[in-house]
Amino acid sequence: MNLQNMAPNAKRSLLITAVFGAAAVSIYLFAVVPSEGDLVRAKTELGEVQTRHEMMMRNLSGADKVKERLEGLNAGLDEFRAAILQPSLESYAMGAKKLLDPIAAGAGLAETEYEELPLVALPVPKRLPVQLFARRPIRLVCRGSYQAAVSFLLRVEKEFPLVALQAMSITAQTDPLAQRVEFVFEWPAKGGRTKK
Amino acid sequence: MSAKAYHLNLLKDSERVSSSPVRIRVMLPVLAMFAVAGAVVWWGSLLGRVLLARASAQTLQAEIDTRKAAYADVMEKMNLANELESELEQLKYYRAGRHVYGGVLTSLAEVMPLKIQLTRLEIPPPPPQSLVPPGVLPGRPYTPLWGPTGNVESVSLVLAGRTPKETPIVTLMESLESDAFTNLVTIVKDPRRSDQSPKVRSIRQDASRRGEGSRMLAFEIEYRVKDRRFAK
Repeated sequence: MNLQNMAPNAKRSLLITAVFGAAAVSIYLFAVVPSEGDLVRAKTELGEVQTRHEMMMRNLSGADKVKERLEGLNAGLDEFRAAILQPSLESYAMGAKKLLDPIAAGAGLAETEYEELPLVALPVPKRLPVQLFARRPIRLVCRGSYQAAVSFLLRVEKEFPLVALQAMSITAQTDPLAQRVEFVFEWPAKGGRTKK
Repeated sequence: MSAKAYHLNLLKDSERVSSSPVRIRVMLPVLAMFAVAGAVVWWGSLLGRVLLARASAQTLQAEIDTRKAAYADVMEKMNLANELESELEQLKYYRAGRHVYGGVLTSLAEVMPLKIQLTRLEIPPPPPQSLVPPGVLPGRPYTPLWGPTGNVESVSLVLAGRTPKETPIVTLMESLESDAFTNLVTIVKDPRRSDQSPKVRSIRQDASRRGEGSRMLAFEIEYRVKDRRFAK
């Protein structure tokens, strides 16, 4: 193509074509391509906001169910909370004494002595709670007959459905009405915390 | 005269065109203009979609912002519910590990042969608990586990006493194999098994007393009792 030999019309046509062609390419490179990038980013951001919004609306719509669930869990926990041994004069042994001495006296056991033993850890569930619970053993040593000891045990098991017998021994003495009786009872207790 | 002499040349060379009616020098600029228009329309469409996406995102974000407080409250309650659920699960482990012995000890008194003088009845305490992580070498520092690795605690019942002969001991052991004690004592008679129950720990002449006491047999029998399982 020899521009010098081209007719003026042809030259004009070529010039117009070149100008508009350059404009089209420029619009593509500097407007369309960046806009496509903007569109991808805008769609991604929209998708993220939509996901957050959906999750929020889903959780908000379940607010009543969460409230019901909380009430049910608190009701289930109340039974255990009521069973946790409370200290008396900052002593759990004294707390146990307050609960068990009336029953021991009623069963015919005498000379009761109480001793607090170290906490025993409970297995932990898969989802680790912040507040752990444990077993609080209290040793009770007293004197009485075999029948008195068993009667006492039956009463404790009935009156305190969450007090468990960890160990016991009845050792014969000269006087069969004054056997050496030892019980180790356990109460549920608050243990350590997994997070401060 | 030849035909060549009468050939008429009415067109200039610059005016010669092709036989095609479509003139390239007209179509090319037109196509170029269409290209520009198309690019502008394309850009406009993209811009419109970008603005629409951003406007939608802003609307949703505004709605999220207005409900933030209520959402935080619900999330706090959900976290609290999860925490309470875990606490309750652990406390259910405690309850699952509780056994009652009062009734069985009452039945034991009823089946105890008259010729047996029980000197000791014992449910021994469990062995001390270890919260050392597995694989820790002795003397090395470690972070104790939150709870024991196992959830089963074995329990035994030890009966020690004195009797003039073996027959009452056999009678007692047979009684403990009856249905009344099925839920308490475990019977595994194979002596090769490590969990054999009952195990006669000792049976010997009672040398602790003179006279009548020296004719007595002192025995100690250990029964495996139902394990305490701290699990659901």
